[in-house]
Amino acid sequence: MALLSSGVLLKRDPRLLKLPPYLSFLCIAVGIAWLLLLPLNDYSRRTYISENALLPGQVHTYFAGSDQHVFRGFKHEVDALEGKSNTEVNDKLEEFFKAAGLKVARQKFEYKSAGEVYQGENIYAILHAPRGDATEAIVLVGAWKNVEEEFNRSGVALVLTLARYFKRWSLWSKDIIFLVTPDSRAGPQAWVDAYHDTQSSPAIQPLPLKSGALQGAVVIDYPFNHRFESLHIVYDGINGQLPNLDLFNTVVSIASGQMGIGVTLQRMWNHKDDYKERLQTMLRGMLKQGLGHASGPHSSFIPYHVDAITLQPYGEGWQDEMAMGRVIESTFRSLNNLLEHLHQSFFFYLLMHSGRFVSIGTYLPSAMLVAINFTIMAIYLWVKSGTPISKSTKVASTMGEKSTPLELVKEGDAIAILPEEITGVRERELFLPLAVVAGTQFLGVLPLYIFNHTTHSMLSIVFGIFTILNTVLPYFISKSIIEYFGPTTQQYQLIKSFSLLLLGMFLSSLATLNFSLAFLVGLFAAPLTYIQPLPGRPILVTVLSLLINVLAPTAVILAGVFAWELNLGEVLKEAAFGWDIWGMNTQVVVWCVWWPAWLVGNILLYGKARDESSATKAVK
Amino acid sequence: MPELIKYLLLLVCLGFGIVSASSDYSEQLLLRPLHPSSLLASFNFQSNASWESFEQQNFRYFPRSLGQILQFANTRELHLRFSLGRWDAENWGARPWGGAREGGTGVELWAWVEADTDEEADGRWLTLTNALSGLFCASLNFIDSTRTTRPVMSFQPSNDHSNATLANLHLLHGTLPREVVCTENLTPFLKLLPCKGKAGISSLLDGHKLFDASWQSMSIDVRPICPEGPGDCQIQITQTIDMVLDIQRSKRPRDNPIPRPVPEHELRCDTTKPYHSGDTCYPLDIAQDENWSMTEIFGHAMKGSCPLTDEGATPVCINVPHARNVFTSGGAVEHKDESGFMRCFELAAEQDFEIVLPSQDLPERAPLEQPLLYAERSFTGYGQERGGVEAILTNPSTTEAVDFVYMESLPWFMKVYLHTLKAKINGVDGDVIQEMYYRPAQDRKRGTQLEVRMRIPQNSTVVLSYDFEKAILRYTEYPPDANRGFDIAAAVITIGNVSIRTTSLLLSLPTPDFSMPYNVIILTSTVMALAFGMVFNLLVRRFVGADEAEQWDIRAIRLRLLAQLKTILRRFKKEQKVAKTE
Repeated sequence: MALLSSGVLLKRDPRLLKLPPYLSFLCIAVGIAWLLLLPLNDYSRRTYISENALLPGQVHTYFAGSDQHVFRGFKHEVDALEGKSNTEVNDKLEEFFKAAGLKVARQKFEYKSAGEVYQGENIYAILHAPRGDATEAIVLVGAWKNVEEEFNRSGVALVLTLARYFKRWSLWSKDIIFLVTPDSRAGPQAWVDAYHDTQSSPAIQPLPLKSGALQGAVVIDYPFNHRFESLHIVYDGINGQLPNLDLFNTVVSIASGQMGIGVTLQRMWNHKDDYKERLQTMLRGMLKQGLGHASGPHSSFIPYHVDAITLQPYGEGWQDEMAMGRVIESTFRSLNNLLEHLHQSFFFYLLMHSGRFVSIGTYLPSAMLVAINFTIMAIYLWVKSGTPISKSTKVASTMGEKSTPLELVKEGDAIAILPEEITGVRERELFLPLAVVAGTQFLGVLPLYIFNHTTHSMLSIVFGIFTILNTVLPYFISKSIIEYFGPTTQQYQLIKSFSLLLLGMFLSSLATLNFSLAFLVGLFAAPLTYIQPLPGRPILVTVLSLLINVLAPTAVILAGVFAWELNLGEVLKEAAFGWDIWGMNTQVVVWCVWWPAWLVGNILLYGKARDESSATKAVK
Repeated sequence: MPELIKYLLLLVCLGFGIVSASSDYSEQLLLRPLHPSSLLASFNFQSNASWESFEQQNFRYFPRSLGQILQFANTRELHLRFSLGRWDAENWGARPWGGAREGGTGVELWAWVEADTDEEADGRWLTLTNALSGLFCASLNFIDSTRTTRPVMSFQPSNDHSNATLANLHLLHGTLPREVVCTENLTPFLKLLPCKGKAGISSLLDGHKLFDASWQSMSIDVRPICPEGPGDCQIQITQTIDMVLDIQRSKRPRDNPIPRPVPEHELRCDTTKPYHSGDTCYPLDIAQDENWSMTEIFGHAMKGSCPLTDEGATPVCINVPHARNVFTSGGAVEHKDESGFMRCFELAAEQDFEIVLPSQDLPERAPLEQPLLYAERSFTGYGQERGGVEAILTNPSTTEAVDFVYMESLPWFMKVYLHTLKAKINGVDGDVIQEMYYRPAQDRKRGTQLEVRMRIPQNSTVVLSYDFEKAILRYTEYPPDANRGFDIAAAVITIGNVSIRTTSLLLSLPTPDFSMPYNVIILTSTVMALAFGMVFNLLVRRFVGADEAEQWDIRAIRLRLLAQLKTILRRFKKEQKVAKTE
C-alpha cells in the first residue's frame, strides 16, 4: 500500500508526466513488433481438429466411376446454357433437380445500390434427410457466375451431379440444400436473408421452401474445363467475420490428407512456409479482413453464424472434377457427423499457412496496444490540462520550500497538510472541446451518407471534390475556431484528449470484432497522437500537414486504388454495395471513427493558442 | 339325444362366436406405392376385450403389461405415438388414417385419466409416464410438468365413456421431440401383439427396414367402445405402424448397402441427347414406376397368417390400379374391389406369402387423396436474444374453407410475446383467428400452451407468426450437447378427425462456452479481485505523503496511548453514571 500512496504523489511528479508520450510510442512499436513475431514457430500454432465428431477423411468416398459419365452429361447441359437468361437457366436447372427427386423452389430478388439495380432469381433444391425432421441443414452452393464474373461451368455441373449422388445415400442426418445463385454477390445474400426472414425490402421474395437451422455451407467455384492442381480456400466473411476454424481444418485435412490435393489460401499460390511467405499470407488475410467485403458467396452466410467457405480449384494438374466432388462428399460426410453446431474451435484467428494459425489470445495484444496508445495519451492530456501552471520546475514534494503554498485537507477527523499543487485542479473549460469533437464526429455522417447515396457515375467525381475539400477544410475550420473562440492551450489539449479518447475506445472495442480493421486504422491514425498546435513554426507545420494529408482516409483510399491498379469508381461502388446489401460496416469505421479523429488532428495542427496569462486561473 | 348334442354344439358355437366377437383380433397390411419410388406400408392390429374381462384382469388379446398399467394409473383412454421423419404431403398426399395415428417427431403421449382433482390427475399421469417409460424403453419419464399440457380444444375423448367417468376425466398431453425412436421401442411394441412378430403381417416388421424408412410412425390407442349401446362396452386396443420405404434403398442387399456408382452398362441414359456417348450420359429420371417384391422390400416373405385372426380375413391389401400386374405366391386368393384401385388377399394358413410387382409401363396411378391443409413451420430471425416462429398454412381446396385448431406447446425458455401473434391471409392482415386459448409459461414450472381456432377460406394461405425471447438457462440446465439446440415439439393441427403435425424445430439458445469455464472463472476472478482491491483501497484508505504521515517516535506513541486510556476511562465513567441513574 505504501506503493499506492506514494503513487498519488508520483501522479504529480513532473518526471512521470513526461512519460506517457514515450509510453504510447512504445505501445505502437511493441504492437507492430508483436504482429511481426506472429509468423514465427514459437508464436503460431499448428492447426488441429477440435470437434471430434467431424472425423475428417475417415470415410471412404464413392463419387467416381459411372458418376463421371453423368457429370459429363450435366457438363454438356450446363455448357449449353451459357449466355442464356437467368429464367431460362433456372427453368432447366429446375428440371434437373426435379428429375433427381428433390424439392425445388425459386426466389426472385432485386437490390438497388449506387443507382444500379441488381436483380436475379435464385434456385435451390432441398434433399430431405431420409429420416430427418427438417431441424438442421447444410448448404452446397454453386453460383452461376463467380466473384470474377466467370461462368462457373464445372461448379454448377458438379452441384447437379452431387445432388443426384447424395440422393442415393440414406445416411444423411441433415437436409442438404443445393443452391444456385445467378451471381456471387447479391444472390447468396438475398437467399440467406430470406432464409432467416430478415430481408430488407419486399423486392426480395421470401423463400417458399425452408428447412432447419443451417449448420454449414460449402461453395464450389470451378469456372474452367480442365483438370486442376490444387485447392484454394476462401474463408473471409463480411465485416471480417470468419467461419469456425474446424470447418477450414476439415477441408484442409480431407483435401491434403485424404485426397492428396494441395491447399492454399489468400492467393499465395506457391507457399514455401517460410517466415516471409507466412507473414505475407497473414497480412493479405488481415487486409481482406480489414476491408470487410464479401470474398465469395460464402461470405453472406457467416454473419448469420453459418460457417461457410468457398473452394476454388486452380492451376493445371492431374486432379479431375471427380476428385473435387470427392472432397465435397467427404466434407459433407464430416458435416453430417456433427451433433452440435460448430463451436469447438476458434472463430477469431489469423491463418498464415494451411496448417498454421494464431488465435485471438496471441494476436489481440498487438491491436490493443495500438489502441491503448490513444487512450494513454488521452488520459495524459486530461491530467495535463488540469494541472495548475506552475512556475517552479523542481520537485514539489520537499516540504522545506517556503514558496510552496500549503493547504489544509480535512477528511473525517484526519487532517493533513499538502502542497497546493497536489490538490489543486485547474478549471477545465469543456464546452468548446466537447463541441468541436462532437461536431467532427457528427460531420462523419456526411461522407458516409454521400458515398452511399450517390449514383455510380458520380462517385468518382464526388470523391474528387471531397478529397480537395478534405485538404482545405481543416485549415478553414481551424482558422474560424481561432477567429471566433480563441481557444487556450488547455482547450486544445482537451480537444485532442477527447478525440483520442474516442478513437482509443472505438478501436479497442473494434479490435475484438474485427482485429485487422482496428489494427490498420490504428496504424494510420498513430501519428495523430503527436500532433499539437505549433504556432510560429510554419515550416514544420507544412511538413506535418503534408504527412497528415498523406495519411488521410481519402489519400489512403486513393493510394490503395493505385497500388492494386483498381478503378476508383468501382471501389466506391463496391463500398456502397457492401453498405446497402451486405451490411458492411467498414465505411462507418472509416468515416465515423477514423476521419473525425484525422480531422481533429489536422485542426489541431493549424491551431494557435490564445495568450493564456490573463485567462488562466488556478482554482482551489 | 342327437338333437341335444346338435343344440349344445350350436350353443357352444354361438357362445364361441359371441366370445370371439367380444374379444376378437384382426390385422391388416395396406401397401400403397407412392410417387416417387416409395411405398407406404400401413400395419394395423386391432383387438377388443370386453370391459368386464378387462376389469377382472382376464386378458386374452389385450396385453396384460399395458392393461395393468392402465388400471393402476386409472387411465381410461391412452394414445401413444413414436414417430420419425417427415411426411411429404406434396408428393404423397393425405396422411394414412387421416393423420389420426401419428404424432410429432419423437414421442407423443396423451391420455384421459380419471381423477377427482387436478393434483390427483397429475400424480396418476406421473405414474403412467414412468410405467410406460419402462414398458417401451423410451424416456417417457422425462415428461414432467414443464412438458405436460392440458389441451382444451385440440383433443376430444372417445364418445363411449360413461357420463359418470366423463365428468372426472382429465386430459394430459406430453411430448418428447428429442427422443430418437429406434429398435428398442419396436421390440416391446411387437411383444404386445398376439402373434408377437412370429407370424402374420407382423413377421414383416424388422428394425433394419422400419428404421431405414423415410417416415415412420408407431401408435398405440386404447379407448372404450360401446358398439351395442352403453350396456355392452369393450376396450379396444389399436396398434399401427406406418412407414414409407424408399424402394431403391430397400432393395439394396443388407450386406452391401453402399450406393456405389452403378456399372457403366447399367446406367440408364437418355440416348436422344446429341452428346450421348460411351463416357457421357444424361441420366434418366430415377422416379420411375418401380418393380419390387415383398422379399426385396422387407427382407423376407410374410410368414403365413396369424392364426388368431378370423377366417376369411384379408390381411394384405395393395392399392394399385387393377391393370397393374401383381403376382402372389400360391394359395392366396385375390379380392378386387369396385373402386378399381384396391385388391386384398386372403392367405393360406401356414404358408409363406409373397407379392411381386414386375416392371410395367402403366400410365394409370391410384388416385392420391389431397390433404385438407398444408402446414409448414419454421423459425425466423437470428441471434441469441430473440426469434420468431412462422407457420404457413395453405388450404389447397378450391371450393371449401377449412376450420381447424392450431396447437403449440412450447418450453418455458421460449418466451412468447403474444401481442406479436399475427395472422396474415394471402399477404394482408386478416381476421382468421376465431378463438384462442393461451396459457402462459412459468419459469421452470410449465411451458406455454397456445391453441388457436382458425378458419381459412378456400385457396388461401395464412401465415401465422409470433415473436419470442430466448431465456438464459442456468448452466446446470443445459443438456450435454448444449450447442445442438433445443427441440421444439411439433404443432398439432386438428381438423375434425383429421390431424396434421408440423415438423419439430431446433432452437438455439445462448450457450456458455462449456469447454473452458474453468479458465474463464479463474481469469475473471483474478481481474475482479485486482479491480476490486484497487477500487476498495482508493475509496477506503486515505493517502498522505510519506513525510506528512504521523510520526512514530516515542512521544507519539505515548500520546496515543494516553488518548486511548482517556477514552476507556471516559467510557467507564459513563457506564457508572448509567448504573447510578438506574
